[in-house]
Amino acid sequence: MSDTTVKMRDIAKDLLDKGTVHYIIGWEKGRFSNQSPPAFITSAAHADRLIWDEYCLASTAKYLLDDKFPAGKIGIFARGCDARAINRLIQDGQINRENIYIVGICCSGMKDPATGNTADKCQHCTHPNPIVYDILIGDPVPETDKPERFKAIEELEKLSPDEKHAYWSKQFEKCIRCYACRNVCPACNCRECFVDQYRVGWQGKQNNLAENQLFGLTRAYHIADRCIECGECARACPMDLPLMELNRKLIKDINQLFGPYEASLDTETTPPLAKYHLKDLEEFM
Amino acid sequence: MSQCKCENPLVPSVVTVLKIVEETSDIKTFHVSTKDGKKPFTPMPGQLGMFSLLTVGEGMFSVTAQGENHLEFAIKKCGMLTDALHEIKPGQMMGVRGPYGNGFPLDLCKGKDMLFIGGGIGLAPVRSLIKYCFEQREDFGKIDIIYGARSMNDLCFKEDLFENWPKERDTNVHVTVDSGDENCPCHIGFVPAFLEEINPNPQGKIVVLCGPPIMIKFCLQSLTKMGFTDEQVITTLEMRMKCGIGKCGRCSIGSKYVCLDGPVFTMAELKHLPNEF
Amino acid sequence: MKTIAKSRINEALAILAKESKLLVPMKVNGISKYAPWGSEGTIQFEEVNTLLPPKDTLFPHTEKMYSYKIANQEITELNIHDDSAPQILFGVRPCDMQSIKCMDDVFLTKSYVDDFYKNKREKLITICIGCTKTAPTCFCDSMGVDPSRHEAADVQMYDLGDSYGIEAQTEAGQTVVNKLQELMEDQAGDPTAVSCTLKVDASGIPAKLSTMFEHPIWKEISRKCIGCGTCTYLCPTCYCFDMETTNNGNEGYRFRCWDSCMFSEYSRMAGGHNPRPSKNERIRNRFLHKLEFFNERYGKNLCVGCGRCIAKCPVNVDITLFIDKLKEVAADEPV
Repeated sequence: MSDTTVKMRDIAKDLLDKGTVHYIIGWEKGRFSNQSPPAFITSAAHADRLIWDEYCLASTAKYLLDDKFPAGKIGIFARGCDARAINRLIQDGQINRENIYIVGICCSGMKDPATGNTADKCQHCTHPNPIVYDILIGDPVPETDKPERFKAIEELEKLSPDEKHAYWSKQFEKCIRCYACRNVCPACNCRECFVDQYRVGWQGKQNNLAENQLFGLTRAYHIADRCIECGECARACPMDLPLMELNRKLIKDINQLFGPYEASLDTETTPPLAKYHLKDLEEFM
Repeated sequence: MSQCKCENPLVPSVVTVLKIVEETSDIKTFHVSTKDGKKPFTPMPGQLGMFSLLTVGEGMFSVTAQGENHLEFAIKKCGMLTDALHEIKPGQMMGVRGPYGNGFPLDLCKGKDMLFIGGGIGLAPVRSLIKYCFEQREDFGKIDIIYGARSMNDLCFKEDLFENWPKERDTNVHVTVDSGDENCPCHIGFVPAFLEEINPNPQGKIVVLCGPPIMIKFCLQSLTKMGFTDEQVITTLEMRMKCGIGKCGRCSIGSKYVCLDGPVFTMAELKHLPNEF
Repeated sequence: MKTIAKSRINEALAILAKESKLLVPMKVNGISKYAPWGSEGTIQFEEVNTLLPPKDTLFPHTEKMYSYKIANQEITELNIHDDSAPQILFGVRPCDMQSIKCMDDVFLTKSYVDDFYKNKREKLITICIGCTKTAPTCFCDSMGVDPSRHEAADVQMYDLGDSYGIEAQTEAGQTVVNKLQELMEDQAGDPTAVSCTLKVDASGIPAKLSTMFEHPIWKEISRKCIGCGTCTYLCPTCYCFDMETTNNGNEGYRFRCWDSCMFSEYSRMAGGHNPRPSKNERIRNRFLHKLEFFNERYGKNLCVGCGRCIAKCPVNVDITLFIDKLKEVAADEPV
């Protein structure tokens, strides 16, 4: 059993026994060895369910939205991506920092349960050490540059418009509109998603290419400058749509137009599309 | 082509709206019949029809009364479809399919004294049974009708309440409003309290209860206090229905479909269903 | 047993495809599903099961029901849509065959027959291939399904290594088998029995669940659910549907499409009241429907043990772990 697992359990027991938190969100083993789904530990007696291994892929942060006005503090184990997700929720005005107790975990990356190789979402990770926490466990992981961040996008940009259209049509034909991507995304935190606004009628329930594209592209635009690149959307998608390519394309464009930017490294920096400078590019006007 | 001869249970027949009666500021009764002046179907009391404005959608509504050649639906304005329905004029063609639902258990009611308790639009589904009882008067005993609404302006079917029904043999109509002024011609007070004032005798009675959930809850408490059993009390449930034929899953409670096994249930049956309300 | 050599299977498929739309398990754009033979993609007979279930053969994801035309206040046209055509579902697995039986119960019984389903069902021929291996997530034999065959299939085939055993089980199946006579040989061979590695004890579940509506177990298992529709859309037996209208001025059509009880608006009523306001109630409803309510209404489980939900749930909500837990907890004691 890893050192981190032992520490997780000890900290959880301590926090719960002392009443510092009234439950803590972490991970536990699923039925199979390549599954470590989210766990909600409500008492010290259950803390030994907690585990830290290379299959702790699911983000813990989004669950904070299920309990916006908690009776006591909510404990949460947060890797680098989870910490940015927490910042995202705070910055979007969805949760209060005072209501959560963050146990940061330095993370060297997770594995894809199907292949055993490094998970796609971890390959471009630039912040493996949580940027916000109350206490930190695990050995700090060296932060490396990820020059491949936009490589897939650059390849796609070389295609002709017809080829791009064919590529994305093939992808969106697969979409089953399960909304897993939206539900795992920390940037998708609207109380009422545009998809659910029935009386307005933006989106129906029919499954066809037009409706699927409408959903996928609109979601990408709605999160554009707030995407933390955690990759949960692509991981959760049961049809393997390359959703991060869409999100990264928008981030690449934003970087070019408004300067290099990474979302939610803190809760003060305003997202690029939420402000303007007199020096902003005007060629398109 | 104006008439659809469909046996497909999900496809409507075409009807024309003959007349629209404004019951209250937000409830209208629609009288419909087919292009050749016939009833699209003959429902039993308590059955429902799926009424549609083709350009908008469908909704399940109780058939509140029927004539020889027409059906009547009472519709309250409370959503996208009903808003649109309230805008239409007589002469408009609509879709209708039915009859759906199990209807009231007439065998259980025959020979008994009947106590009808309705609140607001809840009188609409029960009205079909009240009218049936008057049409087959010998089959039923004493009839008491207790009905309440928020105010005088919210009372439905005023003509029935104040003129037609009180004239029927061995029938008492008790009307109440939640609030009113000194000019109010009827009782002022909530239905459950009014029910306790009237203090009906449970012997040989069947109670038909329909209205907003909160009214049903308190009336049930009062009825139990007065000695009524769960088998004596019948209600009709309201739930969002889409297919109307017990397949799409929308209106299911436990293993029952409200559109097929209901919407009429005795309290005894309801207590066996999962407590989702 | 009569057999067809695997090397000749393409000839068999060519014969079958002559008069019907032939659906075979294929990998299309990286996703395994049943797709028309000859369309873009690679055929996959060796996989245990497809990711997308074959339920859209009989119950499409989106289906036009009827179209209409309006002029002033008049309805000038109302046309029912029927695009049913002869289809052959080739290579369906016993778990999915059982799901077709569940769908038949829903759409063809209990007072009303759903014509849109019936028209397709009457024209469908099912050719089941028994499994010779199972995925770690398969648990069909715990749910009453025999992984090697299904008696409701029109034709039953067995993977015998170099060839497929083939047996007609219905009249329609015999018609199909007759067409393939020239490809068939006589061969001795018994299909290898196989059993799932994942086992659960599903006995007595409906009765136990009927006492547990208010049990705290629901809150415990629903907390990590993210409320997406993955389980319902990949499930071969989920059949909830919505009916809506697409209107363009004076004409339009009414369609039905898959819906999911996991979405919050599913049970929302006119006026805004929602009897299942949180994930708690919705997961409870889903599991109770699969394991208790459907059983009460139709006499069989609505879960066939295909394991797709276990494989693809983004947070590993696992119905088998739930069944295990059910066995442990007392009906009236907290978890």
